[in-house]
Amino acid sequence: MFKKFTFEDISAQNQVKTSVQRKIRQNIVDEYPGLEPLMDDLLPKKVPLIVAKCQNHLNLVVVSNVPLFFNVRDGPYMPTLRLLHQYPNIMKKLQVDRGAIKFVLSGANIMCPGLTSPGGALDEDVREETPVAIMAEGKQHALAIGFTKMSAKDIKSINKGIGVDTMHYLNDGLWKMQRLV
Amino acid sequence: MAEKPEPVRVLYCQVCGLPAEYCEFGPDFEKCKPWIIQNAPDLYPDLLKEANERQADKAAEQLQSVGISSSGDAGGGIQGQADPSGSNIASKPEELKRLPGGKIKKKEKQEVLIEKIVRNKRKCVTVVKGLDLFGVKLSDASKKLGKKFATGASVVKGPTDKEQIDVQGDISYDIVGFITETWSEVPESAIFFIEDGKKVAAA
Ligand SMILES: [Zn+2]
Repeated sequence: MFKKFTFEDISAQNQVKTSVQRKIRQNIVDEYPGLEPLMDDLLPKKVPLIVAKCQNHLNLVVVSNVPLFFNVRDGPYMPTLRLLHQYPNIMKKLQVDRGAIKFVLSGANIMCPGLTSPGGALDEDVREETPVAIMAEGKQHALAIGFTKMSAKDIKSINKGIGVDTMHYLNDGLWKMQRLV
Repeated sequence: MAEKPEPVRVLYCQVCGLPAEYCEFGPDFEKCKPWIIQNAPDLYPDLLKEANERQADKAAEQLQSVGISSSGDAGGGIQGQADPSGSNIASKPEELKRLPGGKIKKKEKQEVLIEKIVRNKRKCVTVVKGLDLFGVKLSDASKKLGKKFATGASVVKGPTDKEQIDVQGDISYDIVGFITETWSEVPESAIFFIEDGKKVAAA
């Protein structure tokens, strides 16, 4: 999604109305209850909240020029990796084996066997169509943000095909866009 | 309301920008290595060991070539033989096939390239590439060159992302002798000048 993302993909940046801001905050807290105590720091009520509309129905939630969350259409908000790195426990985690790392870093979606092999790990509670942190064998920090195509249980039992869509990964266009200026 | 979690402090590599533990999968691990050795050696315990081993190996190994070049960014194709115990994790498709261990694929040639670059008509820099392929520590070599030619010398990242030594002034005539005397592992036959983009043997 962000493979070739650049400033040129941003078609409009708008400060949103307070009512919209409130709704965005609420959606984020509903999705990531662990962020609730941090919301006033992350999206301070007094600081204008900017939504940057981009190609492919993608929206970025931006505060003080820093992209913090993104979503597609009306889908769930997902944190940027830089934000997730700071608060790693806000999302459910799936882990790919070491062999899958380079593929994920080239933007590939995540195949079930990469999660079910000995180096992988699955949180059985993860349902389908859920934002997840993609961790990697032997690494401490998340490698990508994914959106599950199957539940963790199905990933385990079916064990073939794409289990998780890779939404955002280290060194993609969004990662490199630390600030929108 | 739950307690406010403290943000995790992530060590990001100042070269490639990734969390340092991912440098090995980054765009150019080789480039990150000096920073890692300084700032996060515990993440890659093999790195220090490897660097030491490589130097030892190199001294003993039969060496093939050192290149010397003189202009722009020509002579980028420095190629060298790495030590044979290369660890294979993932290679990246590029002209300089560097393995993640920072090793250079075997088929590449070991040579030193010397190139003179003229800046603002009179000012001139002599670029020396490839000494590291002979196990010479570039920071060391840079000091020695600066001292010998009483000028400024520094290790910089070259256009092909490899480290090279920039020496202020035109020292291309005296440098070959100095290299072969100082680092006996570098044979004269492996030293080349880059002149107008062409490689010319120094010997
Ligand atoms: Zn790095």
